[in-house]
Amino acid sequence: MLTKTHPVTGAAIKRAIEARDGRTLASFYADNAVTRIVDRNNPPSKPREIKGRGAISTFWDDICSRTMTHRVDVTLADGEQMAFTQACTYPDGAKVFCIALLKLENGLIVDQTVVQAWDE
Amino acid sequence: MSLAYSCRSFYAICLSGPPLRNRPHSCYTSASLVLWGRQVRVAVTRYARSGEARIAYQVVGHGSLDLVLIPGFPSNLEILWEDPDYSRLVKRLSAFSRLILFQPRGSGLSDGVDPRALPDLRARVDDIIAVMDAAGCGRAALFGASDGAAQVLSFAAIHPERTRALVLAGGYACFSDTATDAKRLRATVEAAEAGWGTGAGLARLAAGRADDRAFADWWARLERLSASPTAAVAQARMTAAIDVRDLLPAVGAPTLLLHRTEDALVRVEASRQLARALKDARLVELPGRDHPVWLGDVDGVADLAEEFLTGERSVAHGDRVLAVLLVARVVGASGGLAAAMASRHLEERMELFREALPRIVARHGGYARWSGADRIDARFNGAARAANCAVALRETATSLGLAIAQGLHVGEIDMALEPLSGEALDIADRIAASTRHADILLSRLTSELVSGSGLQFLDRGSIAVDGTREPLAIVALASERHLEPLGRGKARPADLGVLSAREREVLGLVADGLSNPHIAVQLGLSEHTVKRHVANILLKLDMPTRAAAAGLVARRAAQ
Repeated sequence: MLTKTHPVTGAAIKRAIEARDGRTLASFYADNAVTRIVDRNNPPSKPREIKGRGAISTFWDDICSRTMTHRVDVTLADGEQMAFTQACTYPDGAKVFCIALLKLENGLIVDQTVVQAWDE
Repeated sequence: MSLAYSCRSFYAICLSGPPLRNRPHSCYTSASLVLWGRQVRVAVTRYARSGEARIAYQVVGHGSLDLVLIPGFPSNLEILWEDPDYSRLVKRLSAFSRLILFQPRGSGLSDGVDPRALPDLRARVDDIIAVMDAAGCGRAALFGASDGAAQVLSFAAIHPERTRALVLAGGYACFSDTATDAKRLRATVEAAEAGWGTGAGLARLAAGRADDRAFADWWARLERLSASPTAAVAQARMTAAIDVRDLLPAVGAPTLLLHRTEDALVRVEASRQLARALKDARLVELPGRDHPVWLGDVDGVADLAEEFLTGERSVAHGDRVLAVLLVARVVGASGGLAAAMASRHLEERMELFREALPRIVARHGGYARWSGADRIDARFNGAARAANCAVALRETATSLGLAIAQGLHVGEIDMALEPLSGEALDIADRIAASTRHADILLSRLTSELVSGSGLQFLDRGSIAVDGTREPLAIVALASERHLEPLGRGKARPADLGVLSAREREVLGLVADGLSNPHIAVQLGLSEHTVKRHVANILLKLDMPTRAAAAGLVARRAAQ
């Protein structure tokens, strides 16, 4: 069982992502959180959904196991909603850019939508 | 028989792209391929450095799970994309993962090996690590097929911290002991010695596809672009020497074993032994006999892999597009013509027709498969292309003494389904079945799409189609000898003045009783041009047949 160790703020998200700290990232989510991913393979009418903190934790573990650089440039907060942009680069030069929109309840993320584009 | 292999040289041209010197040295981008009217994206090929060698790889997909696929020998990462089954497997796997396609050293796009100093499995594991590092992959699931299975087993034993799970297909721990017998092993090495690059090896890997001549030609090309004959022999000897049984106790990663029960090269017992020896393995035996995992029922393979790796069953991945469907039935193969022809003779003609078919369909931008002994299913992305292809098929069949009945309809189909299927195809088949003659029948809807193409149609009433409330209006494609316009008005006296000088010249020779080939010789034209002239004459004069036109000339001469 994961426990919340940090308040969910733009700065905390930026620190955790850029440090590839999957454990901290997973702690930001509520037990019943849903992450929705939209990209070329997962179009808006059929996004990929990751449900529950356990699955989201696995998701972040996989992402953070990659030896890539992440840069969180913009974070916005508006009450219970947040947004941030993330630019990633793989060792072979391939780049990914994504925008994430978050909805919070009781200080934890309950809903997240990520839109991402990759070099191909 | 698949017709997907009819444009290989064209694909090769697409793949060659701009000169390498104009590309970044670290990678180059392959052009996308146009296969059967569909654009297929070919991934960027990159190179990782492993010691002194360069190992090629491609990355496809955006999933959070990294999955490394080692397809087994022979392989060439760029040529494999040309195969629809391989493309389908890659598409399915990359839908839920970031799929890293690995080109083993000594084959395809990766650096070669010295046949006198072959790399051991440890070196091959280092190659996988090099590619994972280059791709920024920390921990991955690995999917190894055929000889690739031994590589991923070795990887999992040596690098458990970087192994998330394994999927093995047609795999084995010891080739000479459990996978095959000494006789087959010797035959494999001897075949590599004698017939590498000819496609002769296909029968030992996918016996069911060996009779598909177009596929066999493509397979021969895959062999040649996978390895030289010397390297192929070295690879065969290396495969024969594979034995990773002592590593199996060290493999702790959850493992899914897939094996086709009638596998043409490796006995299913090899995977059963792996299932017994591995700590956390589950074996699923699949129907089929193709050894390469990327042939045959790839959806079944992808479904199992996805469920095993993500814990979720895959959802149906529909890919519906609008297409013109053509069903052709060789009515001469089973009906009246067969009675007139010795069956041996008929088979020879059918074989010639089968050979001609890929070229004809490819020329019209279509994709076709034989769905029975005498039935062809095809799809096109344009109605005029489909109709013109039908005409070409009829001409070829007629020249061979065969009669084919063809039906065309337009509707949405699911491109994800293979073979072609769906309601629109069923209707096209129903239309084809409504005639026993060498007719080309179309739904009126299809005929209305070719406005401006010059094609003419004759009303043929309507037919009942299951599942539709209204009868389906049918038209026949008018042949050059029956160019009666659809809405023939009140008869008007024909005016020879509407003809061009050349057409009058042709008409004069028609009236003299000359055939098209004779007219062609006499006027120094091609037979095709003469046919077009005759068709135009009949259209302009509103005449149903060349005999009627000849009669008109005779009457005018008598007046």
